[in-house]
Amino acid sequence: MIEGNDLSAARKRLAAQQAELLNALLAKGPVPTGFDEQRIAVERRALLSKRRGIARMLGPAVADELGDRFRPLFDAYAVENPRRAGSRAREDAAAFAEWCRASGELSVNRKARWKFWQSN
Amino acid sequence: MVTPMTSQTTQLSAEQVGYLTAGPGRAAEAALARLIDAGLVRVSRDGLVTAVHSNNHGATTSVEARILSYSRTAVRFDTIVQSTANSTEMAQLHRHLLDRRLMQRPRRRHEAWWFSLAIAGGLVVLGFSTPAFFVGVPIALLFFAWQRGRGPVTKAGKEVLRPVSASDRVYAVALYGFCGKVGGHRVGDLFELSQSVVKMIPLKRQRARKSSSDGGGCGSASSCSSCGSGCGSSSSSCSSSSSSCSSSGSSCGGGGGCGGGGGGD
Amino acid sequence: MAGITDLGVGIGWRSEIDLTVERLPGVDFVEVVAENLHIGHLPESVTLLLERGIPVLPHAVSLSLGGADEVDLKRVQHLGEIAEAVGAPMVSDHVCFVRAGGLDSGHLMPVPRTKDALDVLVANVRLAQRNLPVPLALENVAALLEWPDGELSEGQFLAELVERTDCWLLVDVANLYANARNIGTDPERFLDEIPLERLAYVHVAGGEQHGDVYHDTHAHAVLPEVLGVLDELCSRVRPPGVLLERDDNYPSDTEIASELAAIRAVVDKHRG
Repeated sequence: MIEGNDLSAARKRLAAQQAELLNALLAKGPVPTGFDEQRIAVERRALLSKRRGIARMLGPAVADELGDRFRPLFDAYAVENPRRAGSRAREDAAAFAEWCRASGELSVNRKARWKFWQSN
Repeated sequence: MVTPMTSQTTQLSAEQVGYLTAGPGRAAEAALARLIDAGLVRVSRDGLVTAVHSNNHGATTSVEARILSYSRTAVRFDTIVQSTANSTEMAQLHRHLLDRRLMQRPRRRHEAWWFSLAIAGGLVVLGFSTPAFFVGVPIALLFFAWQRGRGPVTKAGKEVLRPVSASDRVYAVALYGFCGKVGGHRVGDLFELSQSVVKMIPLKRQRARKSSSDGGGCGSASSCSSCGSGCGSSSSSCSSSSSSCSSSGSSCGGGGGCGGGGGGD
Repeated sequence: MAGITDLGVGIGWRSEIDLTVERLPGVDFVEVVAENLHIGHLPESVTLLLERGIPVLPHAVSLSLGGADEVDLKRVQHLGEIAEAVGAPMVSDHVCFVRAGGLDSGHLMPVPRTKDALDVLVANVRLAQRNLPVPLALENVAALLEWPDGELSEGQFLAELVERTDCWLLVDVANLYANARNIGTDPERFLDEIPLERLAYVHVAGGEQHGDVYHDTHAHAVLPEVLGVLDELCSRVRPPGVLLERDDNYPSDTEIASELAAIRAVVDKHRG
């Protein structure tokens, strides 16, 4: 689709604004001019909390093994690894588990030795 | 928080019956059944288990409390049974049953138990030509008997278990499992659980597929030291954590909604 | 299509509570999150609801129509396919952006209320509309922060959007309440400014006050104040539908039923 010059210029300006905001919220970027720092902090926490909740839901075993360490570890991981556009929530949860293994926080093989004594 | 017993002959809790009947996995099933029965947990058509949110959590045992906290967000039916079976809370229940002498530390069946039987057999054959070899037979047989191991449930355990019947659907799960049958009815049906959900739980039959990790014994990660002799070790590799729900490439997410990031904490 | 005809009271269908949604009394329609469904294997529960004649409306969360980039037609196509699979009369997404600068916020972010942002949004919405088989409704989001240099109020911004794209509006009264609490917007002014004749339906959801911030969690009970905003809306227009969104911490069936009943009571109050 061919767009007018005005529109593509508007897209460019908007892209810069939005990228700056997400960078501040997700990747420790500076707070863009005109925004309330406290509000940015609130939003940052809310986004992190939502992302953490989804990772917990998609990887309960990891969260379970980490116990109380889950939250601080996830928060450290998240700021180092903001979610890339186009990535999936499941990939995020998997990448977090991988990150934990790489830093020795999670046992390397969680392939459950699922031994059921008897179930039927 | 393990359900207290008032006297020696008092009723066992469904969890305890489950444990004595078939180990930690069954005990986990029984605890889950109790929670479903009490309306504290819901199970979806495709087997997502979610705690029903309420201020009073209503757990009566530590195993139940664990299930409720673990299922605060949706978790697969098999994942929660498995994780509960391997939990420290379940190990506590096991210890409790040991303390009450309803269970005992089983002796593991030795990998080479059949080997001593073979030696005994060999000695018998040899004994026909050289009778002196008969002397070794009782020793080999004793060795074989010891190596065969000893069951996890004591006589007292079997005794208290005997009068227990599937008096309600929770006890039906404890005795027969969600996949089992009672009086010609599928136990899963009593909970309106589809077969596709209850079949998520690995069955004993699968033990035929002996995997290398099985070694000789069985013992599951934690408390399944109770596997002594006749232990079915279904080595079905558990299906990781993937809950069948949501995720999606969606930016908004997991649980699928548009709700905000929660308490912002 | 001349508006959406009487949807009634509904609830967001979620896989965790599928059986609850099927059992609940007084569910006239449901909404599904489009991104969570896959063409070719609709959840059994959704099929069952369709067989009962319950309308199923796909609700998208990832089009990022307010984003600077041109809308992703693959996502639009998926939404359209889901709409066709469930025979939906309408689909929806939000006035927001979710991706920018190669990052994904994982949430619905407010757009700056500037001419630039409006022009881009309009272009994206038009492109999406051309690629959708059914009308598109757009929802106001809850914001925790305010962009500087807004040229229009939120109501004016949405009115312009409707004017230029002929889209429908999905008004979330919980989001209006959240914005009133968090960034001081006035729900009544919003309702005055938007073209209510283009109202497709209404969202109601629960949230939680946390310190001085109200979080639109969809995981807590609906506050009476939110029903108050619904009441205000109903005093101006008869909404074709009102839908309860609950995404987490699902309470008992009884509790969900009583939330639906409370919503219905507000709607019915203005019908008499």
